[in-house]
Amino acid sequence: MGDETTTLGAIHIAPSAVATIAYHAVLESYGVVGLAPKNLADGIVSTITREPSRGITVRYKEDKIDIDLHIIVEYGTRINSVAQSVANTVRFHVEKALGLRVNSVNVHVAGLRVSADN
Amino acid sequence: MGMDAARLEKFRKLPIDGQAMKRLIDAGVTWLRTNKETVNALNVFPVPDGDTGTNMTLTMQAAWNEIKDLGTRNLSEMAAAVSKGALMGARGNSGVITSQILRGFSRGLRENPILDKETFVRALCEARDTAYKGVVRPVEGTILTVIKEVAGAAEAALNSAQDAVEILEVAVQAADAAVKKTPELLPVLKQAGVVDSGGKGLFFILEGMLRHVYGQSLEMPLSQVQPLSSMNLQGALEEVEEGQDYEVVVDFIPKGELNLQSFYGKLEEMGTSIQVGEGEGMYRMHIHVPTENRYLPIDYIMGLGTVTKVAIENLLAQMDDIQNSQANQIPFNAVEPGNIAIVVVSPGLGLSRIFASLGAAAVVEGGQTMNPSTQDILNSFENLPTDKVIILPNNKNIILAANQAKEVTVKQVQVVPSRTVPQGLSAMLSFLADGDLKDVAEKMTRALESVSTGEITIATRSVEIDGVAVQDGQVIGLLDGKLAVAAESVQQGVMALLEKAGAAERELITLFYGEELPHTEAHRIADVVREAYPSLEIEVQEGGQPHYQFLISIE
Repeated sequence: MGDETTTLGAIHIAPSAVATIAYHAVLESYGVVGLAPKNLADGIVSTITREPSRGITVRYKEDKIDIDLHIIVEYGTRINSVAQSVANTVRFHVEKALGLRVNSVNVHVAGLRVSADN
Repeated sequence: MGMDAARLEKFRKLPIDGQAMKRLIDAGVTWLRTNKETVNALNVFPVPDGDTGTNMTLTMQAAWNEIKDLGTRNLSEMAAAVSKGALMGARGNSGVITSQILRGFSRGLRENPILDKETFVRALCEARDTAYKGVVRPVEGTILTVIKEVAGAAEAALNSAQDAVEILEVAVQAADAAVKKTPELLPVLKQAGVVDSGGKGLFFILEGMLRHVYGQSLEMPLSQVQPLSSMNLQGALEEVEEGQDYEVVVDFIPKGELNLQSFYGKLEEMGTSIQVGEGEGMYRMHIHVPTENRYLPIDYIMGLGTVTKVAIENLLAQMDDIQNSQANQIPFNAVEPGNIAIVVVSPGLGLSRIFASLGAAAVVEGGQTMNPSTQDILNSFENLPTDKVIILPNNKNIILAANQAKEVTVKQVQVVPSRTVPQGLSAMLSFLADGDLKDVAEKMTRALESVSTGEITIATRSVEIDGVAVQDGQVIGLLDGKLAVAAESVQQGVMALLEKAGAAERELITLFYGEELPHTEAHRIADVVREAYPSLEIEVQEGGQPHYQFLISIE
């Protein structure tokens, strides 16, 4: 949904706006070194993309927000902990900015980045 | 808790090999665990990291489990095992970063079997670089900043330092300074009045190592001292133990360094619930003591330094107050200066809550049988931080007092002449805090007409008015202030009144039940109404008003 009706009219928050908030939260999440395009058909994992909506899907279902993150994680970190942290961070920042409840944040680890000296 | 010079000398003579490193890690873990709650108390976000102290301790504990049975003397092998254990056991954000720091540290040793000063510095730098690689946009003012400052200081000290122990001393100092600086770098820390929790955890790990070298205790938490801003005295109050009847709070500035161990020891002889907070050199001590001990903590602390403030309170009396105030607290809207504040007259707690939830800034208690005075109404808004006030009297007998309040105040006041509570509630829906005062008042006044008000009460004498004959003690229903029906039961009265009001043609009926009506009975009657008017929306709310079993809003 992302809609809210006030005495002045309706407020609509586009999914891409939510994605931008999530994007900035992801960038500050430790262990996440990039976002991956949802569609990996070409098999190329691109690292960080400047386009917020890439790698982040936002869907509204009734009055709930569902977010899917496709991330690339630094090799050598505990992936489970990193994924949980990024999900928490994104949920926190989106809920704080919008005041709307986030129903789910699904984290898909699309790839690992091996730093040069590993 | 002083340093053991002989031990330090001995430590310095021996090479830091795998086994020495193992003991250092043990000390780091132990000291972190000892101070875990201090780190936990620093968390500012409800998420993302849960309890940093707990997460970091569990991560370090996993590292320790990996090496606790490891007998190797080779430093690099030991560090590799530490790194592996931390990686496997990393918990939470801070734990992941800690594991990365340890991984970089291990790699920076470059197979060296001994920790000399060059190797130590190189490992710290590698730890920093590895930690920073794990995030796209590093946030400064966190554990990352602390490892960066530590590595930088160690690098700068490399040439002048005598040995690895001196590098460790430099590292601990740099960590301490960096932690203290975190609020300057990260505004949310400053707002919360805390330092970064992960950074503080890293500091404890390093400090624990140094304390081991110095031969200092690792069990006694240095820092049961918390930042002043995080002292929760309200919470402490709720756990009053028997016999601890007085709460004593003393603010003081100690002469010289405060010896916390003996300070706590002494306080524990006097009472319970001890809390000590520190902020910019000033300390606050909080304790619960039995009546006969109530002056002891003050006398004791006067011997330690300058006492700036003393508060003694009787807890049992205070407990009652707290319980009462919590039960009666209404979450009023904060008024922005320059915005319009709404002041309502409300006959019951439940109704006050509903008004508050709709945006009322203050409530004056009162209603049919207890009309508030002009002064009561004035008092309610004189201190609000705005000049624009709208009063909802919610009773025809109070409109006059409200108008008088308007005449005698310097503030700009509009009275929206609501004659009943349902009218007042319906006016609230047209309220706009940052609108023009006159416009808003006019809109609200127009909204009054959109609602009909029913009231159900018990007749206090026999009378005939408006063609309705009533016996003393009978249930009566009033519609918009006029006697409309008489009945034998509340349910019957409600049904008769709704019929008279033409409820079938309306949309929403809200029943506010009074303090004399049990809520199960209110809901039962609401179900009867629902059955009779299946196409209408029927709501039930706790009104809490006296004398009136129901106030009914018909829209």
